[in-house]
Amino acid sequence: MAVLVKKVELNWLDRTYVWPVLMGMVITLRHFIKQITTRSSRRYTIPYPDRKRATAPGYRGLHELKRFDDGSIKCVACFMCAEACPARCITIEAEEYGDINKTQGFEEKRPAVFKIDMLRCIYCAMCEEACPKDAIWLRTDYEQASYDRLSMQFGKWDLMNTYADQDGKARITSDPTPTVPRPSVED
Amino acid sequence: MESLASLLHLMPETFWMIIKVFIVFLGPLTLAALLTWAERRGSAMIQDRIGPNRALLFGRWRLLGLFQLVADGIKFFLKEDLVPTDASGLLFWLAPVMAFVPAVLGFAVIPFGRSFVQDGHVFHLSLLDPGNGMGMLYPMAIGAVAVYGILTAAWSSNNKWSILGGMRSAAQMVSYEIAMGLAVLAIFVRTGGYDPQQIIAAQAGVWNVLPQAIGFLVFFVCMFAETNRLPFDFAEGESEIVAGFHTEYGSMKFALLQLSEYLHIVTAAALIVTLYFGGWRVPFVADPSVLLSVAAFVLKLLFFCWVFIWVRWTIPRFRFDQLMFLGWKVMLPLGMGNLLLQAWLMHRGA
Repeated sequence: MAVLVKKVELNWLDRTYVWPVLMGMVITLRHFIKQITTRSSRRYTIPYPDRKRATAPGYRGLHELKRFDDGSIKCVACFMCAEACPARCITIEAEEYGDINKTQGFEEKRPAVFKIDMLRCIYCAMCEEACPKDAIWLRTDYEQASYDRLSMQFGKWDLMNTYADQDGKARITSDPTPTVPRPSVED
Repeated sequence: MESLASLLHLMPETFWMIIKVFIVFLGPLTLAALLTWAERRGSAMIQDRIGPNRALLFGRWRLLGLFQLVADGIKFFLKEDLVPTDASGLLFWLAPVMAFVPAVLGFAVIPFGRSFVQDGHVFHLSLLDPGNGMGMLYPMAIGAVAVYGILTAAWSSNNKWSILGGMRSAAQMVSYEIAMGLAVLAIFVRTGGYDPQQIIAAQAGVWNVLPQAIGFLVFFVCMFAETNRLPFDFAEGESEIVAGFHTEYGSMKFALLQLSEYLHIVTAAALIVTLYFGGWRVPFVADPSVLLSVAAFVLKLLFFCWVFIWVRWTIPRFRFDQLMFLGWKVMLPLGMGNLLLQAWLMHRGA
């Protein structure tokens, strides 16, 4: 590959070196004054733990397993997400509902175990794409850290409660028993 | 002052001397410490960043990140003091002191305000009274001694990067001292003496920058080389010789080396102010009061300290051969030419 060497002819003023240096100093001073007179909230740098950057729409952050209004899980344990996952970080164990009247509509399956290994997850949102029930969402939280590897194994109840505080929903730790039987497939 | 001195059973002169020692020792030292802060925050602002601001006083007050200084100091004191196994023990310990002491001494002769008379005594605002016979030769000599601190640090570390850095630094300081000496010589010629008080007195009408513009340029550039600052910071170079002469230094020894570099900046700024910008003189005020004169000096000093930082974050580094070219083939003839020009003007009676 030929390299084009661009020769720059300097005029006498530039060759003194003093004048260009002064011009350069004007540039740096301009930056200095602009930055020092800019309010902290308008600077390029976001002082991170104090102020957080709003995530863009479509950001792929921490997962949430969605729930119905009564608190029952939307997931039907179809394993589509686990199949789609390129990192193979989703582990699902399905279970059946004993009484079909107590299920959400006509589904009679739900996950007994829904685990995501957050250390393996690459936040690609393939699971979200694959999900036929819109039951798993990747949302805004990007601050996952912990002191040990075990606490990065998110179980079903961890995943259902990830955004509970943020959305003002109650934290749930067990599958609710619907008080009103919902219409099943036979109705 | 008389009464204060008698309270302490001291002669007024002795009392004044003690005060001056405190001012001249602690003033530049504080300023040097503040410069490290100004450097980091200033460079951050120049580069559209924010700079260190996470060190809080009692976990509450930020104060523009000023407590980073305290945090750094504590950190330096608590760090393990490592000495490389192959380092020369005594010299390795001595080198930071050898770098630090000349840096502190340099300020002694600079008048930081006008002299005043009280109760029949004349009080001078410089550690060494005028007419001491050393005058401006003293900071020049002390500045030359500063090379030994760096060389000793480099040599005793027994590290090839350190030695390369030390040698480059020594070569650079020695080369630029000649041009610097010539520039200052022109001032001595014009003033007819080398006492700082005389030099300041001679700048009553117009400051030396205007008639000695070329000399100022030479001296100013040489000061950058003498203080080992960018664009001439060849004592260190991250990509080539790691941290140069203080590669092997850690903890408080490193802090001393670093502090002495900033003290050199303060001294260099003080020299520039005294030689070329009228010392404590205030423009358009023929006879300023003592406080006003001190304020004027400090203001000029701070400005030139800032210029050192400002230039550092503006200009990229030179290559070493370019530095030598500039020193020997540009600065030296320019200084010589300036001296001859001033001598010719003197001969003409201008």
